[in-house]
Formats: sequence, structure tokens, C-alpha cells
Amino acid sequence: MITNEMSRRRLLGLGVGLGAAATLTLAGCGGGSSTGGSTAAGNGGKDYTGPKVDLKLWNGFTGGDGDIFKKLVEQFNTEHQNIAVSVVTYEWQDYYSKLPGAVSSGNGPDIAVMHMDQLATFAARGVITELDDVAKTLELSEGDFAPTVWKGGLYHDKRYGIPLDMHPLGFYYNKGVMQKAGLDPNKPPATKDEYTAALAELKKSGVQGFWVSPFQFTGGMTFYSLLHQWGGTLFDGEVAKATFNSDPAVEACTWLVDMIKQGYSPANVGQDADYLAFKSGKNAFNFNGIWQINDLKKTPTVQWGVAPLPQIGSQPAAWANSHNFTIVKQRSADNNKVAGAKVFINWLSQHSLDWAKGGQVPARKAVRESAEFKGLTEVNALAPELEYAAFPPATPGLGEVMTTFYNAFNEAALGKKSPKQALDDGVAKANKQLEDNRKKYGS
Amino acid sequence: MADVIEVGAARGDAPPPAGGRLRRRGATERGHRATPYLFLAPYLVLFGVFGLAPILFGVWISLHQWDLQLPNRPFIGLGNYRDLFSSDSAIYGDWWSSVRATAIFTVLSVPLLVVVPLGLALLLNRSFPGRTFFRAAFFAPYVLGVAVIGLLWRFLLDANLGLVNRLLGAVGLPSDTPWVTDVPWAWVSLVGVTVWWTCGFNAVIYLAGLQDIPAELYEAARVDGANGWDRFRHVTLPGLRPVLLFVLTTTILASANVFGQAFLITQGAPGEQTRTVVWRIVDEGLRDYDAGRAAAMSVLFALMLAVVSIVNFRLFRYRED
Amino acid sequence: MTSLRRGVRYAVLLLITAVFVTPVVWMLLTSLKTYADAQQDPPSWLPNPFSTYGYDAIINNTANPVLRWFVNSMLAATLHTLLVLVTASMAAYALARLRFHGRRLSFALIVGTLFLPPTSLIIPNFVIAERLDWIDTLTVVVVPGAASAFGVFFLRQFFLSIPRELEEAAVLDGANHWQVFTRVLLPLSKPALATLAVLSFLTNWNDFLWPVYVLFSPERLTLPAGLGLLQGAYVTDYPVIMAGAMLASVPVLILFVLAQRHVIQGVSRSGLKG
Repeated sequence: MITNEMSRRRLLGLGVGLGAAATLTLAGCGGGSSTGGSTAAGNGGKDYTGPKVDLKLWNGFTGGDGDIFKKLVEQFNTEHQNIAVSVVTYEWQDYYSKLPGAVSSGNGPDIAVMHMDQLATFAARGVITELDDVAKTLELSEGDFAPTVWKGGLYHDKRYGIPLDMHPLGFYYNKGVMQKAGLDPNKPPATKDEYTAALAELKKSGVQGFWVSPFQFTGGMTFYSLLHQWGGTLFDGEVAKATFNSDPAVEACTWLVDMIKQGYSPANVGQDADYLAFKSGKNAFNFNGIWQINDLKKTPTVQWGVAPLPQIGSQPAAWANSHNFTIVKQRSADNNKVAGAKVFINWLSQHSLDWAKGGQVPARKAVRESAEFKGLTEVNALAPELEYAAFPPATPGLGEVMTTFYNAFNEAALGKKSPKQALDDGVAKANKQLEDNRKKYGS
Repeated sequence: MADVIEVGAARGDAPPPAGGRLRRRGATERGHRATPYLFLAPYLVLFGVFGLAPILFGVWISLHQWDLQLPNRPFIGLGNYRDLFSSDSAIYGDWWSSVRATAIFTVLSVPLLVVVPLGLALLLNRSFPGRTFFRAAFFAPYVLGVAVIGLLWRFLLDANLGLVNRLLGAVGLPSDTPWVTDVPWAWVSLVGVTVWWTCGFNAVIYLAGLQDIPAELYEAARVDGANGWDRFRHVTLPGLRPVLLFVLTTTILASANVFGQAFLITQGAPGEQTRTVVWRIVDEGLRDYDAGRAAAMSVLFALMLAVVSIVNFRLFRYRED
Repeated sequence: MTSLRRGVRYAVLLLITAVFVTPVVWMLLTSLKTYADAQQDPPSWLPNPFSTYGYDAIINNTANPVLRWFVNSMLAATLHTLLVLVTASMAAYALARLRFHGRRLSFALIVGTLFLPPTSLIIPNFVIAERLDWIDTLTVVVVPGAASAFGVFFLRQFFLSIPRELEEAAVLDGANHWQVFTRVLLPLSKPALATLAVLSFLTNWNDFLWPVYVLFSPERLTLPAGLGLLQGAYVTDYPVIMAGAMLASVPVLILFVLAQRHVIQGVSRSGLKG
């Protein structure tokens, strides 16, 4: 508070005539970010018997995903008379911008759905609370989840997120286009040789089969996957140094950029153009998120299939991310709310099969291995990827570093720099950003 | 700043002929001494709370490592500013590249946005059937939000699938221009879209300004045998000068604040070359939660714009002499 | 001769209009396509079939209170415009016509604030609005934006370009400043006021970043802040976006046409001085 007092005096010392707003204190005490809900509230989500609580939940599930999520919440509300969850949805980008302001002004949610790579940032900034007891009571352990997803919810050895789902990059193939080029539409290429052979056949029939987008969606994520397939990593083990200019990374990047040079992809592919061209039969292959399954189902004119990414490099790998439940710290802690929130998270985690119908792979192994999930043919087709999915590391402030990574690829894909040069420059910048983050978050 | 603007606005402020001066003095003496302040008061309250205070607060933030969420917001003096100027900081390259992008966009777009709308306004100023329709047509794009026009043009300008290249190809022109992914084409796209989008904005301001020019001045000029160009130079332009100054100033500022178009249409590509200052500020403040650095960027940027504007107004003054 | 010139004028106008309006027509047609039709390659101009898919997604949306957003936006933009017109015209009158101590300084300060990017004021203004307990209310999207220097600067420049003779005549007849301002200057400034009204309304109507940052309850959102929720997170749903754009822009275009009448009235006004 000392800084706040000082700053207020300093401001007034500058002679701000605030008129009607003289009572304003401009120091901007963020309010309650350091206080907050006791983590020991409730019995870790087993059940809740206290007075009725109203809980606000925020997510970024716009569109069809959101409807499925809302139906799940309705079901939960009818099954739990003393817990009422209301859902608020914002676009992810807006969501992350406004969450800090909402929390500091007391307008924040009780439960927030977050991407795995955001957990550390929000944990470090004291927005969300620890959930170790939830994991313990629910007897959740690493074995119930893919190891990388499970570990992604940790920050400084404490759990902040309970994974709901996993969404990897998948390999979409246009059966109609393959057939026209004389390829077997039921045998999508699975290795590097098969892949380039198929592209060569497509080229003969006048189709540039694999459009390489220079943007994060989807070219950047494709490169991210291939970099891991070649055995590279984005960062070292401690996430202290960027390593995406290693030899494997440069080779993976070169392979992708050569797709353009060899005429398997046009140059200057625009945002979404790779996917729109896929749907209209102008190309045959697209590495895209699992979320496009539901979108393709809306377009019955396209004959398509989905499979795990072909193995282009020396090992299988695929970009993936995960939605996690978190509990938000409040200005004034309400143990009943925290207890209720934990019950909700537990319940929804167990009911995540319905969520899979929204086009995501459930995080829980038991759900994933149920016969019902196996019935969801397309989504299930990508489940094997989770053994080797490459999730982003749990480090605070990673957002801008990832932008640097994707921009480096952008320059290479647009031919502005050689792959080596683009990645070297990107790594030099990323290392400085990582160092800044270490200072800021003190990790 | 004050005298600079005054100079630009000289026409309106110029002392009237002797008789007028006497009368004006009478007018001023008639009012109570508090009158001007009473007129100003309602706006000044707003301005103090939501104009001046946030700016001073912003300057204060810029001297800290400031995060809405973190309990500690250490005072770091000019540290945030130092980062912007020291070539071994992580932000240095991004920051100056965004300044460069913004400068290119501003220099290319401002002349067009000042001149083209003036031409439109002159075309539309006369009374003729269908005038309201044409006015509405030119204004229509500006009614749309930036999110919509951004997505629309990203779709139309796509190098491989877009309608623009398809139309160009149909008339025998090159059909593979990378409108949104390579320079200089990306600049052509951003400037072109912005002119299309905001032309109507400046045009309606000019139109309103043209209404203030007394018709008898045109008649007098016609009696003196002035042709259309003479009338434009000697009646229209001087009559519009305060409005012109307003349009020029606000257009420079609006262009310098470009964000949505680049964010949606070129997405900064290639690399970071079309990533603008305001985009960078939004990213720092709202995405990376580094409000201190975002504030330092804002202050530095405001200073740059102030310098540009002062230079601009000085030039105006010389021409008047 | 004159009919030839008139012909040329119309030809030029129609050509320019085509350039301006074609993309808007494209949007209108896209808003009437089905989701799949809008992604056809090569794209077709005419919807096949004509569909209300985009409009249905917005209007018949039970999950999101779209009508409420529309009303919120209307209220916010109208109140904002009134606030700007009243405060800015008074301040501009003082700055353009009255002599007083500190005039230059206040004008310099006001115009000086234009140089700071409005986006950079989001966080400071958020903290101030929070202290006033305005977060997540209608007030917060009405008032802070009215502090913009734009309106004051705009009207001051217009007042400066209006000849003073009529005001001076009124003063000789014994009018005080308030009477000069309300009975002489404001009526003379109808074109400028109508223009500022349209521009202020539109700025508030289309504002996006600030409402997204300060409104938290779904039923309190404004239209542009809300429309984003109607499309999927991963795929650009052009018919829905364009239908939303059409619904959001038609009211403003009508307002513009109505306001134009006042701008045109200004032309006849110059006869007064003859």
C-alpha cells in the first residue's frame, strides 16, 4: 500500500484538477489479487452439502462447441439443487484480454476454462488458485491422462488446472481429389515417402496437393509438429533457452518451404485459404485442428477423411493443446463457492464424453477408452496421437515467445529469409523474451 | 502547441476591420468574467477525469513494471523507455519495426485521405437529383466496423482464391499478386482499403465545411470573371482552411493509429513488417499484460506524433507568410 | 453544354459509386448465402440458393440476447452523442469566440490529448471507471469516450470558419453570450452539428475494444462486442458475419441520410446574409 499512497500523492502533486471525481484514487490497487480463496475449501469436489451457491463460469467456446458445453451445464444444474452454474462465453482472444480486469474489479468468474499454455501465466499472476486437493480427492493421477497434459497443469509443482480435453492437429484428406488423381482414397499416406509420392501424383493431375500456410493457423502449427517429428524441440528442458533453430528444426522448416519451391503448394497462401481450398477440392491434404471435424460434417458435399499426421520426420509427433478448468481467486473468499466449483469440475470431467461430441478428445483415459467414445469415429481416429502429442510447455509469459516462433516461420514460408536465417533470428529474439519473463515472474 | 494551431486557424481569428474590432470588444465586455469558464466547465469535468487523468496515470504507469494482477509493481524509473532505445533488449527490434510500419502507412495514406474526399465533397456539394443517394453510397463503407471490412478484404484479396486476383486475371493482368502477404503489395492493400473505408468520413466533414462558405463570395468571384479553378483556389480553399487543418490533423492521427486493418488483413505479414505501433501497444498491454511497457510506448509515440504535427503546422505558417 | 457537363458528372459519380458500393453489395449477397455456399470456389456473386441462414443465426438466437445488445448500443450511442454535442459545442464556443485567461493553454491541452493513442488509455480508464463503480454498466460505454478532444476541436474549427457578423449584430441588439450561442451560432452550425452527431454516434456504435474490456455480463454487451460470440472460434462464418454487419449498419445509414437534410439546409442559409 505504500506505493499506492506515494503514487496518489505524486499524481495530486502534479495538480490534476479532478473536479467531481476528487475522491478518485488513481493508484489502481489491483484489488484482492494476493488474497483469495482458501485452497482447502470443501472436500476437493466429492460433494457439496452447504447452502445454495451461484457460480459464474467463463469459457471461449463460441459457435457449436459452446452449445454442447451449455447443455452439459444445464444437466449439471438439474442434478445439483444447491449449485447453479451460469455460463458466459467470449471469443478466446477477448477472453484473455478481459479476464484480468474482470478479476481485479470483482466481476470475474468463479470457474475459468483456459488453454494449457495459459495456466502458468495466470498462476504466476495470482489469478487462479491451486487445485491439488481436487486431484487428490478425485484420485486423479498421471495414469488417467496423457503424461504431458497432466504435467501441463502444474506450475511450481502445484496443480492449477484439471484437463478437460485435448485437441491435436490432425491430417485431413480430400477423398474426391485423391480418387481423381488415381490415389486410393481409403489409404491416406502415412510416411514421408508415401506422402511425397502422393503429392507427385496429385501434381500430375494438376493439383497442388498440400498448401503451406505461412500463418500460425495452420502452417505454423504444421511446422511445430514437423519440428518435433524431426526430433527437435522449441525450448530446452527448463524453458530457459529457445532451441527452434537446431538442425532438426531447420531441416523440418526446409522440408515445408520446399513444398512451395517444388510446386506442391502455391506461394503466398492466405489465412484460411489452405482450408477453404481443401473444402473446394483445390488441394488434397491439410494439417488442421481436430475442431474442423465438426465443420466438415456441416459440408456434406466434401468427401473427406481424417487420420493421425503422417510421419514425415524420424518419429511421430503432433501439435496439441488442452482446455483446462481453473478456479479463480476472489476478492473475498467464499469457501462454499470454491467447494461447489470443485464439485462441478469433477462432474464435468466425468461427463466429458458428451464434450467429445463437440469435437475434442476427452482428457480422461477412462472416458477415452469407453466404447461410446470409440463410436465417435472421426474424433477417435486422432486419439492415438495423444501418445506423442507435443504440448506447449507450462511457463508464464509464453504467448509472446510463441508469436516470435510463428513469425520466424512466416518469414521463411514467405521466402523473406532462408529457413536457417529466419529461425536463428527468431531464437535470438525469443531468448531475450524468455530472459525478460524470468525476471518478471521470478522463476 | 497552442500558437501553432492558432496560426493554422488564422483566418477565423484574424482581426476584423476596424469597425468590427470595436464591436467585438463590446461583445467581450458584456459577458461576466466567469462566462468562458462556465461554457468550458461541463467538458472540462469529462476531460479531466477521462482525458487528462488517464494520461497522467499512464505516464505514471510507464515508470513502473506494472501489471493489473501482480501485487508488486516496482518503480523502475525510465527502465521501460530504456528498453525501447537499447538495441539489445527483446522489444527493440519489434518496437522500431512497428514505428517504421506506421510511418510508411501514414505517409502513404494521409495525402490520399485528405485529397480524395475533398474531390468527392466538391462533386457532391451542388444541388442535383440523387445527391443524397450518392452521399450515402460514399459514406456506406465507413458505417461498417473494422472487424467486418477486415475479414471482407482478407477474403477478396487472397492471393490464390480471392476475387481481386481473379478479376485481374480475367482482364489479362497478372493474377498472382500477393496482396496481403508481401510488400509492397500489402501496403497498397492496407492503404487502398483504408481509403475506401474512411473516405466518406472526411468527405462529410468537408461537406459540412463547404456549407459555411457564403454563396455571395462565389458570385462575386464569378462577376470578376474567375473560372472554376480560380474560384476553388481563392474562395473554396481559404474558406475551408480551418476545416482543412482539422481534417489534416485528425487524419494523421487516425492513420498513425492504424491497427484493425493490419491485424486482420495482412496479420503483420511478411514477418512483422506490417505490424503497427498501436497493435504492438495492445499486444503488450492486453495480451502480455505489461502495462508499464505499453504505457511507455504510448508516451513515446505521442511525443513523436506531437513533433510531426508541430513540424506540419510550422510549414502551414510559412506558407501563410 | 450544361447537359453535357451534367452527363459527365453523373458518369464520374456512378463510376466512383461502383467502386465504393461493389464490396458492400458483395457483403449483402454473402449475408444471403448458406454457410457452404459462401465458401465455394470460385466464389459466385449470387447466392445459390438464397438463404436466411446468416440472419437466422443472429435473430433466432435464443442463447444470446441479440435484441438486447441492439438496444444497449442504441442507448449508448444516442446518449454518448448528446453528451458530446452539448459539452463540445459549449467548450468550442468558449475557445473560438471568448477571450479569457488560459484559453491557449486549455486548447493546447485538449488537442494535445489527441496525440495519445486511444487504445493506450484503456487500462488507466479502466482503473478510473472501477473506482467510480461504473464497470459493467451502461455509463461506462457512454461517458469516458465523450472526453475525446475530437468534438471540441471539430466544432471550434467550424465556429472559426463562420463569419461573425450575425453574432455581432445580435450583441448590438443586447444579447448575452448564452443567447448568442444558442440563438445565433448553433442554428448557423447545423451542418457541423449534424455531421458531428453522425460521426460521434458511429464511433460509439462501432467501438469494440473498450466495451469488450469493461462489460462482463452478457446482457449488458453492445452489438459489436456481442456479435463476435455468434461465430465459431475456428472458422470464419461469412454469412453470419455479414448478416450481423448488415443489421448493425442499416440503422446508422438511415441516421446518416436523415442528418444529411440538416447539412443541405445549410446551403440555403447563406441567403440570409445577402
